[in-house]
Amino acid sequence: MMTDLWDFLMIIWAHPVTAKLLHISILSGVVLGAVAYLTYAERKILSAMQRRQGPMTVGPLGLLQPIADGIKLLSKETIIPTQANRPVFLLAPVLTFTLALLAWAVIPVDAGLVLADINVGILYLFAVSSMGVYGVIMAGWASNSRYAFLGGLRSASQMVSYEVSMGLIIVTVLLCTGTLNLGEIVLADRPLWMQVLLFPMLIVFLISILAETNRAPFDLPEGESELSGGFMVEYSSMSYALFFLGEYANMILMSAMTTILFLGGWLPPFGIEALAVVPGVVWFMLKVCLILFVFIWSRASFPRYRYDQLMRLGWKVFLPLTLLWVVLVAGVLIGMDALPVESRF
Amino acid sequence: MPKLTINGTEIEVAPGTSILQAAESLGYEIPRFCYHDRLSVPGNCRMCLVEVEGAPKPVASCAMAAGEGMIVHTDTDRVRRARQNVMEFLLINHPLDCPICDQGGECDLQDQAVAYGYDRSRYRESKRAVPNKNIGPLIKTIMTRCIQCTRCVRFGEEIAGVTELGLLHRGEDVEIGTFVEKAVSTELSGNMIDICPVGALTSAPYAYKARPWELRKTQSIDISDAAGSNIRIDSRGNEVLRILPRLHEGINEEWISDKARFCYDGVSRGRLDTPWLRDEPGAKLRPVSWEEALTFVAGRLRKIRAKDMAALAGDLADLESVVALKDLMTQLGTPHLDCRMDGARFDPSSRANYLFNTTIAGLERADCILLVGTNPRWESTMINARIRKAWRQKKGALPVGLIGEEADLTYPVEHIGETAAALKEIIGGKHPFAKKMKAAQNPVLIVGSAVFAREDHGAIAHLLGELARKYDIIRDGWNGMNMLHGAAGRTGALDVGFVPQAPDARGMAEIIEGTRSGAVKALYLLGTDEFNARADIGWQCFVVYQGHHGDHAAMRADVILPGAAWTEQDGTYVNVEGRPQFARQAVSPPGEAKENWKIIRALAERLNIRLPYDTSAHISARIAADWPHLAKWDVLPDHTEIGAWDLKGEKGDLSGGVLASPVRNYYMTNPLCRASEIMARCHAAFPKGRDADSGSEDKTEQEAAE
Amino acid sequence: MQVARFINSFLLVEIVKGMALTLKYMFFVPRATLNYPHEKGPISPRFRGEHALRRYPNGEERCIACKLCEAICPALAITIEAEPRDDGSRRTTRYDIDMTKCIYCGLCQEACPVDAIVEGPNFEYAVETREELFYNKDKLLENGDRWEAQIAANIAADSRYR
Repeated sequence: MMTDLWDFLMIIWAHPVTAKLLHISILSGVVLGAVAYLTYAERKILSAMQRRQGPMTVGPLGLLQPIADGIKLLSKETIIPTQANRPVFLLAPVLTFTLALLAWAVIPVDAGLVLADINVGILYLFAVSSMGVYGVIMAGWASNSRYAFLGGLRSASQMVSYEVSMGLIIVTVLLCTGTLNLGEIVLADRPLWMQVLLFPMLIVFLISILAETNRAPFDLPEGESELSGGFMVEYSSMSYALFFLGEYANMILMSAMTTILFLGGWLPPFGIEALAVVPGVVWFMLKVCLILFVFIWSRASFPRYRYDQLMRLGWKVFLPLTLLWVVLVAGVLIGMDALPVESRF
Repeated sequence: MPKLTINGTEIEVAPGTSILQAAESLGYEIPRFCYHDRLSVPGNCRMCLVEVEGAPKPVASCAMAAGEGMIVHTDTDRVRRARQNVMEFLLINHPLDCPICDQGGECDLQDQAVAYGYDRSRYRESKRAVPNKNIGPLIKTIMTRCIQCTRCVRFGEEIAGVTELGLLHRGEDVEIGTFVEKAVSTELSGNMIDICPVGALTSAPYAYKARPWELRKTQSIDISDAAGSNIRIDSRGNEVLRILPRLHEGINEEWISDKARFCYDGVSRGRLDTPWLRDEPGAKLRPVSWEEALTFVAGRLRKIRAKDMAALAGDLADLESVVALKDLMTQLGTPHLDCRMDGARFDPSSRANYLFNTTIAGLERADCILLVGTNPRWESTMINARIRKAWRQKKGALPVGLIGEEADLTYPVEHIGETAAALKEIIGGKHPFAKKMKAAQNPVLIVGSAVFAREDHGAIAHLLGELARKYDIIRDGWNGMNMLHGAAGRTGALDVGFVPQAPDARGMAEIIEGTRSGAVKALYLLGTDEFNARADIGWQCFVVYQGHHGDHAAMRADVILPGAAWTEQDGTYVNVEGRPQFARQAVSPPGEAKENWKIIRALAERLNIRLPYDTSAHISARIAADWPHLAKWDVLPDHTEIGAWDLKGEKGDLSGGVLASPVRNYYMTNPLCRASEIMARCHAAFPKGRDADSGSEDKTEQEAAE
Repeated sequence: MQVARFINSFLLVEIVKGMALTLKYMFFVPRATLNYPHEKGPISPRFRGEHALRRYPNGEERCIACKLCEAICPALAITIEAEPRDDGSRRTTRYDIDMTKCIYCGLCQEACPVDAIVEGPNFEYAVETREELFYNKDKLLENGDRWEAQIAANIAADSRYR
C-alpha cells in the first residue's frame, strides 16, 4: 500500500506536466496556508503591541482561528447589490486573487526551485503586481456605491503613484546586478559598499510596497473609519474572502520580492557560509516573515496618512529621491567600474 | 373690623376671622392637620402654632380669633421650633410605613414632616398599635396611622349628619372608632378619605392600585345624579382608577357622593364593545362590523315612515349626542321624541318650569323648605348636603317640610303627609308648617320630577301654582320653585327640546305603548336603561340601542351600536340649575365603541342625511348657534331670560297614593352603577332606599318609571 | 534647525522611535486584558449588573409595591401594578423591567425601602431575542433566588458606607 502510493507519487514527479501541476498546487497551498496564518499572526502581533490577547478561543492559543474564519466566510451568503454590475463585480475579486497567485510563478524560493525560470522575471513580477490595481478599480466601480467608488479611485492613483518610484528602485538594483532573472539577481555579487548604497532604497521600497499593497498607514482605499471598507464595502462571503486572500497573498509576494531584490533571497544572511547547512527555503521564508513583521509592525505603529500627504510623499519625495539614486548608483558604478559584465547574457 | 399685623403686613379682617385665615388670605402658609375650612375648629393638633407678640407662648392660630392690634409672626425661630416639636410628637406613634401607604405622595403628614419637621427621629421606644376598624366596604382603615385630628368625626357630625365615628378613650389610648362595630352609613363617606390628612382612612376599592404621581388627571362632571358635581377622573393607561371631587362652591363645594366617587368600576364592566345585530325578531344577536350594523339600521329605517318612528334619550346622554339625535330625527320628520325616562309630563316650554331655580348655593339663603315627592338624599346627595349646611348655618332654625314618603334626610324634617292631599292642607293655611311658610322670607319648594309622572300631574301642578302664589315663593329677586331631576342628561335634553315635537306627538309612555300597538315601528334608544325594555317594548318594533352597557335595553335591541361612556368622550352636561358643564375625555372607549354623536352622524350619512358637523368643534358651534346659553360653560342661567315659572295644570281630582321618590336603591340607579362591583358591595352593606329588600331591581325600576 | 529637521525626517528618526515604542509594548509591557470567559476581573460590591427581586429568609418576597423605583427610574424601564394580596398585604401583581430601556443607574435599588430590587453581580445575561430582555416578576424573583448569597454579601460589605 505504502509502496503503491510512493510509486504513484514518483510517476507524477517524473512526468513534466504532472510535476509542474504538483509544483503549482504545492506552491498555491503553501501561499494560501501562509495567508491564513498571516492573518492570525497579524492579529496576534497587533494585539501584543496593543497589550491585548488576540484570538484565544478557537484551538490552543487561538491557532485554529484562521480556519474558523475561513469556514465562516464560506458559509455566508453572497450578496450582490441590485445596482451593481454583476459580471465585473464578480470578476474583480477573482482577478485580484488570480494575480496574487500568478506572480508566484517566477519567485525562486531556493536555488533552482522556481516554477518558471524566465529571463525577464522581474519585469513579469512588476507587471503582474501592477495589474492588481485593476481588481480594485473594477470592484470600486462595479459596486455602484459611493464608498466603494471613492476607495477605487484612491487605490488607483495610489498604486500608480508608488509604482513609479518602485520601478526606479528596481532599476537601481538592476544596475547593480545586471540581470532581470530573479535567481540571478539573488546570486549576483554584492560587495559591502553596494549594500550600503542600496540600503536607502530598501527603506523606500519597504514604504512603497506598503502603499502598493494598500496597507496601513497607506490603507486609504479601505479606510474603515472613513469609507467603511472602501472598495470592499459591498462584498461579502466568498467574494470578500477572495479579496482578502488576494491582498494578503500580495503582501507575501511583495515581501518575497523585497527579499529577492535586497536581502539575498535564499542565501544565508550576511554571507555566513556556516549557516548554509540550513536549507535555503527556510532562510527565504524567514526573511519573508521578517518583512511581513515589518508590515504588521508599521500597522500597529502609525496612523493612516491623509490622502494629500500620501500623494505628496509619492511624487514630491520618493520620485525625486529614487531618480537621484538611479543617477547616483549609475555614477558610482561607472566610477568604480563595477558595472555588471555584459557577457552573462 | 379688627386690624392686625402679620409678618409686618397689616390686614383688616372680618370679626371672628381666625389668625390662620387672616394669614392665609395674605398668602402665608400655616401647616395644619385638624383645621379644615368647612369643619368646626377643635384646635387639637397644635401644628398651626404662630407667635403673637405679648403672648407668653405660641398660640394655635386656627382657634385664636384675630384681635385688634395683634402682631403675629408665622416664621420665627420659635415658631419653627415649636412646629418641629409638635411634628416630632405626632410622629412618635405614627408608623414609618409610607411605602405601603396609599396616602403616600399626597399625604399632609408626609409633606409637612418634610417642610416643618426634624430630619431625624429621637424616639427609640416601641410605638403603639391600634386595631383597625371595619367601617364598611368603601373605607379601609389603618388606625395605627391616625393622628387623632378628628376631621372624620367632625365631618360625620357636621356635614354627613351621622354620629357613628367618635373619639374613644383618653391620652395615650385615644383612638377613632365606632362604638359598636358598624359601617359608616352615609352616602358621603368617601369624603372622609379625602379629608383624612394621613393614611388612616383610605379608599378600599383603590387600595394599592396606584400612586398619585402615575395618574393622569382629567377634569370631568359627575353623572350619577343631576347636580353635576365637579369631579376629577384619575386614570392610568386606559383604566379609570379613582374619582375625586373638584372644588365648586356653587355645586358640590369639595364633597361628592359615594356613588359619584365609586361607580367608576362600572365603566369597565359589562361593556358593549362591538356592534351587535339581530337578523330577525327572536334570532340571536351576533357581533358585526360597524359598516354592517349601520347599513342594516339605515336599510330598515328607510322602509319605515317617519311618523312611525320614535326616539328616546336616556338619563346619561350627553348634550352633543342628544342634539345630533334630535337633528337626525327632525330631518327624518319624526315628532315622537322624549327624554323624560321617568315618564314625567310637565310643560317644558319655559326653562324655569324644570330648573332648580333657587340654585344649589341659593339654598343657603332659604329659610323654609318644602319637599314634595322627593328624597334629596338619594336623588341628589349634594343638594341634600347643601340643605343640611343651610340648616346648620341657621343653627337648626330652618324648617323643612316633607310631603311624600317619610325619610331620614340627616336633618330634622317635618313630615306633613304622604299624599298630594297634604298640599291642600298647606294651601289651606291650617297646618303648623303653613305658618312657618307664611313667615318665611325666602321659602323654597322642591318638587321631584317623578311627581309629574303620576296620573294626577295636572292637578298637582295646579296646586303647586296656588302654593307658589299664596306663599310668595316667586317674587322679585327670589325664585323658590324648583324641580329636582335625577338624571344628569335630563336638563340638557329638555333645554334642546328633546320632547314631543307637536301637541299630538307621543311622549315616553305613549311611545312605549305605541310599540305594543304597532303604531311605533322603529324605536331609537340613546342609552335608555331606565325601563324594562324587554318586557315593555312590543315584539314587532325594530329597536336600535345605542349605549355603553349591556343593560335592560341592549337585551331587547335588534341592533346595538356601542357608544362611549361619559369618561370616554368629551361631553356637555347641564345640571339641575341649568348650568352647562363640560366633561372631558379621560380614557378611550373599549373595543369598537365610538363617541355617541359620531355614531349618529355616521348613521345619518347612510340615511343620506348630512348632519352639518364633522368635529367636536363643529357640534359645539352647532349647539352655540341655537342655544347660546348652553355654550357658556359653568355659567348659571340668567333668570330674567329663561322665562317665568309657569307650570300650567288644571284643577282636577287627586288620585291619591304616596308621592314616592323614584330612587328605590341609591346604589343602583343607572347602568354604570348596576355594572359596578363596588356599588354592589355597598348595596349589600347598606340596604338603602326603602324597597331595598323587596323585589327585583327590574320591578322597582319599572315602578319608578310608571 | 531647518537642517536638523531635514535630517531627522530623512533618517526617519520619529518613525523609528514610534516603531521602537510598539516593539517595546510587544515584548516588555504586560497584557492589560483578560482572557474573558476563562478569566474574570474583580467586581465591586457596588457593581450594578442584572436586576433581581429578593426575598426574606422565610421565602416571603420583599417587594411591597411602593412604586418608588418606578417613580425614580429615569429610563421609565419599570412597570408595576399592584393590588392587595389575599392576606391583605400590599403586593405587586406585575413587576416588569425592560432591560433594553434600563441604563443601569442603580437608582431603583437606592430608592427601594426594603432592599427588594437590587442590581446584582451578574453581568452575563446576553440573550438572543429582545423579548427575553423584557423581565417579568417571575424572572426577577428567580434571579433573586439564584444570586441571593452574593447579593446579601455585597449589601453587607457596602453597608458600612451607607
